[in-house]
Order: sequence, then C-alpha cells, then structure tokens
Amino acid sequence: MIFIKKIFLLFRRELKLSYTNIVDLFSNILFFFLSIFIFVFALGTDEQLLRTIGLGIIWSLLLLSSTLSLRKFYEEDFNNGVLIIMHMRGMSYELIVLLKILSHFLFVQVPFLISIPLASILFNLSMYEVYNLMVTFVIGSLILSCLGSMSASMNLLNKANFSIGGIIVLLFSIPIIIFSVGINEAGSDFMSLINILIGIALIFLGISPWASATFIRLAIKNT
Amino acid sequence: MLISLIVVIIGLILVYLSPLDYQQGLTVKIMYIHVPSAWLALLTYTIMTIYSIIGIAFKIPFSFIVNKAVAPIGAVFTLLCLISGSLWGKPMWGTWWVWDARLTSVAILLLIYLIIIFLNQTFENRDVREKTIAIFIIIGSINLPIIKFSVDWWNTLHQPASVSKLSSPSMDSSMLQPLLVMTVAFSLVGLIIAILRIKAEILIRKNN
Repeated sequence: MIFIKKIFLLFRRELKLSYTNIVDLFSNILFFFLSIFIFVFALGTDEQLLRTIGLGIIWSLLLLSSTLSLRKFYEEDFNNGVLIIMHMRGMSYELIVLLKILSHFLFVQVPFLISIPLASILFNLSMYEVYNLMVTFVIGSLILSCLGSMSASMNLLNKANFSIGGIIVLLFSIPIIIFSVGINEAGSDFMSLINILIGIALIFLGISPWASATFIRLAIKNT
Repeated sequence: MLISLIVVIIGLILVYLSPLDYQQGLTVKIMYIHVPSAWLALLTYTIMTIYSIIGIAFKIPFSFIVNKAVAPIGAVFTLLCLISGSLWGKPMWGTWWVWDARLTSVAILLLIYLIIIFLNQTFENRDVREKTIAIFIIIGSINLPIIKFSVDWWNTLHQPASVSKLSSPSMDSSMLQPLLVMTVAFSLVGLIIAILRIKAEILIRKNN
C-alpha cells in the first residue's frame, strides 16, 4: 500500500512540475508550428505536393521538436538530489526511470496530441491519415520517451557536447518513422504494422530502464 | 607483420589474375575491396559488442581499451565499403546511391561509429566515458542483424550473400579464392593496426 502511495506521490509531483513549466510545453508546440510554416514557405503552397508529403513532414518535425526538451528529463532532479532521495526511500533506480518515462509520456507527449489535428488541417490531410497519425503517435511517443530517458541520463555529466543527446534519439528513432509513415500505404496490413510498432515499444521499454539506471548510477558515483 | 605483407601481396596477385565477369567486365574487381571491408566493418562491431558485454559484466579494463582502439578502424572500413560500393554502383546500377535497405543500414553503422568516436572525446571522467560507450555499443548492436538480414527481409537492389553459404557457394572458385585471400589480408592488416593502437593506449594509461 505504501508502495502504491509512493508511486502516486511521484506522479503528483511530476504533474505539478509540468503544470508550473507549462510554458515550456507550449513553446515546444510553437516550435513545431513555426517549423511547419518554414517548410511551407520553403516548398511553396502547392496543395497536391503538400498533401503527398505532409504526413512525413509532420512526423519528422514531431521528432525534432520532441528532442528539444530532452535535457530537463533528469537534470533538475539530479542536480537538486531528488533522485538520490527517492532511491533512499526504497525505490530502485530502474523503477524510478520507468515511472519517469511514464510521466514524461503522460504529461509531455500526450498534450502534444492536440497539435496534430491542427497541423493536419494546415496540410489538408484526409481523415483516415489523421487517424493513422494519432494512433502511431501515441505508440511512437512512448518509444520517444524511452529514447529520451536513455540519452538524457547518458548526458548527465556531459558539460561540453550538447547536441549528441539529440543525435542519439534521432538515430534510434529511424525504425519508428519507417513503420509509422509506412502505415498509410499499408491497407490491409494495418494491424501487422501496429503490432511491429508495439513490439519496438516493448523492446525499448525493456532496455531503457536498465540502461538509464546504469547511467544514473555512474553519474551519481562520479560527481 | 611480414606474414600479413605476404598475404596482401599474394591477394593482389590473385586479384590481378582473376577472370573478368562476362557482364560486369573489369569493375567486378571492386568486389575484392568491397566485400572484405564490409565484412571487417561488421566483424569490428561484433568484437566491440562482445568486449563491451565482457567489460561491463566482469569489470575488465582491457575491454574498454579495445573499444577505444578499435572504433576508428571500424569507421574507416565502413567508409571504405561505402565508397567502393558507390564507385561500383555508378557503372552497374547507374547511380552513386540508392535508398536500399542494405546501403542505408551500413550508412547507419557508419553514423554509429562516428557517434562512438565523438563520445570518446566528450566526457572528462574516464570511468563514465568508458561505461557510457560500452552501453551505447550494446544498444547499437541492434543494427547488426538488420544489416545481415536486410537482403533477405526486403526486396533490394543489393544482391544477397553469395559467400557465406558454406555448403554450396554460388561463386566460381577462380573468383572465390582471391576473395578469401583478400579477406584474410584485410583482417590481418586490421589486426596489426588494432594491436598497435592497443599498445599505444596501454602506454598512455601507464604514464598517467
């Protein structure tokens, strides 16, 4: 019972933090829309062209804008010692990482969903494509949270090279983009591609708590 | 050192004497560079993965030294494979580059090698650096089976493996022999460079 209460308290704390930092989330969404505008200015306003490439553009911009907020995944908690205190209260680092991933998914990535229908209006996407985009983004953003946790914990002690975290997330997000954009031409293979995406999500959900916990232990040992 | 020199020379002579392909003409000789370097790029990454697992599990510092020493060698062989492949692709397929599954996954392997080299320069603390790189190598080894089976899983322009079918290699022995000798020669050259780099790294660590 106490265990469940601890988990509940952690989620409430994350919700509070993300509520106080809500400007950050909105500026991420703003970045997303601004980059869509820049894409349209660069390509011209040909409706047919925009409709054919719109889905790919929206997905790649979602990836890019989700790498923006990576650095604060663990950094604040690490610097003010919250991670160590939570560990001392009897939670293993793996569990903390898993809960952080879930809370990042719930409080950062899911609010991003409201921006997708608006963006697809700008590109004149059909209803079917918007539906595909929403479904794949819900699964893909869970994978993105796992990747973000890995790269953020890897770069806790990295004071020099800021862009390497984003590079690592983009590198491992290649399969997500392949399968989630390919779902549009799949037709009857819809469910099999969804299953592949869920499989990738489960693989990363298995790997990332272990990897991030190792990185956090290393960082705590060496500060 | 002498043995590898002899093997390289024998390999080059065999390549010179090897017959021309009836379709591809002289360009088939690019294969004797392309295939060994691709093979070595994969082999290097496999070695790095095994050493990272050993290093993390048993805390042996030698495996981290190997990781650091071997990564640039793998990057160079991957680059060699990509360059020779695109030189071969221009006369045969008509383009320098196609977005084919095999080619793309090898290009991603090159990116992974470059990230490993960059990570080597990033962290100040040596312990953190070594373990971070080792975990990154283990996670990045997802790419290896994708490269290996990409020609079987997807319909690609790149031809499927013709050497590794040990029971009946789909290649004439007059072409297979120089290919195997060149593979051994490339491996020996890579091994010599790796040993030199490992020695240098150990000396540097001793002096600190």
